[in-house]
Amino acid sequence: MPSLIWKEWHEQSWKLGFGCVVLVAMAVIGLRSRIIADDSMIAWVCFLGMVLLPVLSASGLVPAERSEGSFASLLALPVSRWRILAAKTAMGLVLCAGPMIAAALGSLLVAGGREMTSAQMLALYARSTASGILLFIWMLALTIRLPNETRASLLGIGVLIFWIVATLGLAYQSVPPLAMTVSPLALVYGFFNDIAGGPPLIGVLAAQIAIAIVSWWWASRQIAAEDRS
Amino acid sequence: MNDSPVIEMRGVAKSFGSKAVLRGLDMSVSAGQTFALLGRNGAGKTTAIRTLLGLLKPDAGEIRVLGLDPAHAPLEVRRRVGYVAEDQTMFGWMRVGQLMSFIAPFYPTWDATWARELSERFELPQKTRMKHLSKGQQVRVALLLALAHRPQLVVLDDPTLGLDPIMRKEFLRDLVTYLQGERVTVFFSSHLLYEVEPVADAVVILDHGRVVRQAATEDLRASVKRLVAGTEGAEVLRGLPGLLDFSDHGRQVSAVVQDIASARPVLANAGIAAQEIDLNLDEIFEAYVIGRTKERPDAKPDLERVA
Repeated sequence: MPSLIWKEWHEQSWKLGFGCVVLVAMAVIGLRSRIIADDSMIAWVCFLGMVLLPVLSASGLVPAERSEGSFASLLALPVSRWRILAAKTAMGLVLCAGPMIAAALGSLLVAGGREMTSAQMLALYARSTASGILLFIWMLALTIRLPNETRASLLGIGVLIFWIVATLGLAYQSVPPLAMTVSPLALVYGFFNDIAGGPPLIGVLAAQIAIAIVSWWWASRQIAAEDRS
Repeated sequence: MNDSPVIEMRGVAKSFGSKAVLRGLDMSVSAGQTFALLGRNGAGKTTAIRTLLGLLKPDAGEIRVLGLDPAHAPLEVRRRVGYVAEDQTMFGWMRVGQLMSFIAPFYPTWDATWARELSERFELPQKTRMKHLSKGQQVRVALLLALAHRPQLVVLDDPTLGLDPIMRKEFLRDLVTYLQGERVTVFFSSHLLYEVEPVADAVVILDHGRVVRQAATEDLRASVKRLVAGTEGAEVLRGLPGLLDFSDHGRQVSAVVQDIASARPVLANAGIAAQEIDLNLDEIFEAYVIGRTKERPDAKPDLERVA
C-alpha cells in the first residue's frame, strides 16, 4: 500500500501544487484587494475549489492512467484491486482537501475576523471541502471505466452541472426538504440558505457519508470486475 | 522437484459476450519445461494466459497453477509467477531504479541482489525514465521485473512483439541463458515459430480456442511428416489417419499427417511408395491451423525438400 500511495503521489502531486497556488492566490489577492465583500470572495474561492478539484482528481486517477496504458500493468500486480482504488481515493481526497486547507489558512491570515469571523470562514471552507470530496467520490464512481481523461473530465463536469441544477430544484418549496440530503452540494447550500424543515447538518452529513460509501463500493466493484468477467 | 504439473488446464472455456474465445482448453506443463503456446492472432493465447494469472475468470473448467486455483487465489498465483504481458506499458515517468523499488514490495521473495545483477547483465540504465528507453530495453525491464522475485514459473505473453529481429534474438538469448539455466518453468506465447523452435521443449498449438496438439517439440517433429506420392496414391493419402493437409499438385499429391507411425502401415498395405519429408515447426503449425484435407489447387508444395 505505501508503494501504491508513493506512485499516486508522484503522479498527482503537481495537481496539488497547482490547486494550492490557484486557490491561495485567488483568496489572498482577492481578500487583500477587497474588490468584493469577504464572504463573497471566499464563496468564489470555495466554488472554484469545489468545481475544479474533484474534476481534476477523478479524471486523472484512473482514466488518465488507462489512456497511458499503464493501468493494465497495475492490475496485473499481486495486489488487490480495492487497495489500488483505496490508494487512488486517498490521493484524490488529498487533492480535494489540500488546496482548500491552504486557501483557508491564507484567508484566515489575510482577513480572519475582519468581515467574517474565523469560525464562519472555516465553516464555509469545511463545508465546501466536504462537498468537493463528495463530488469527487461521485465522479470517481462514474468515470472509473472511461478510457481517457477528456471523457472523464466531460462526464465530471456533467455531474457537477447536474448537481448544481438538481440542488436548486431540490430546494424548491414544493419538494420535501428531506430530499435535499441526497445532494452533495446540500452542505454548502445549507450554509447560505436555511432549508426550512430540512434535516440537521449531522443528518445531511450522515446521509452523504452513506451515499459516498455506496458510491465507492460501486467503484470498487467496477474495478474488481474489470477484464475479469 | 515435484512431479505434479506446474500448469494444468482442463476444459477451460471463456466467452466475451457471444464470442467464445476458449472452448474447452486442456493443457499440462511440467516443471522445468520451456513451453510455447502457439496460435494465430485471435486464437486465444492472451486469454488463456490471463486466465492462468487470475486476471480473467473462466466460464468453465479447472485451472491449477503451481497447485493453486487462480480464480480463487489470484494474488498468490501472481506473487509466485513472473509475468511479462503482451505489449506491456510501464509507468513512463518512473526511472528504471524507481520502477524496481516500486515493484519490489509486492513480491515477498524479491531478491534485490539478483535484481541488480540482472539490471547489469541487461545493461539497463538505472536513472533513465521508462518512456525514454528503447522498446528492447523496455522489454528487458519487464523481463527483469518478472524474474527478480525468483519465480518458479515465468509466463511471457508474446514478449518479443514489436522488437526488431536482432532484438528478438537477443531477448531469446537472455531467456535461454537466464531461465533454462535456472530450471525455471517458462510458458510463453508466440506466433513467430522460427523463434520458438530453438528454445521450446514442448509446444501446444491453439486454434480457435481449442488445443489441436500438445507435444514435446522433438516428438512433434518426429511424428508430423509430409508425404509426397504420385497421383495414384491420392485416395490412399486422403484416407490416412490423422490427416492434416492434402494437396494435389498435378503429377504429385502431398499430405501432412500428424502421426507418421500410424500412416506407414496404411501406405505399406496399399503398396504406395511415398517420400517422407521432415517439417519445421512453422510448417507443422501451418498444417494444424490452416491445413485442408480436401484438394487445394492453389497450394504450392515444398517440393525442393523432397530428397
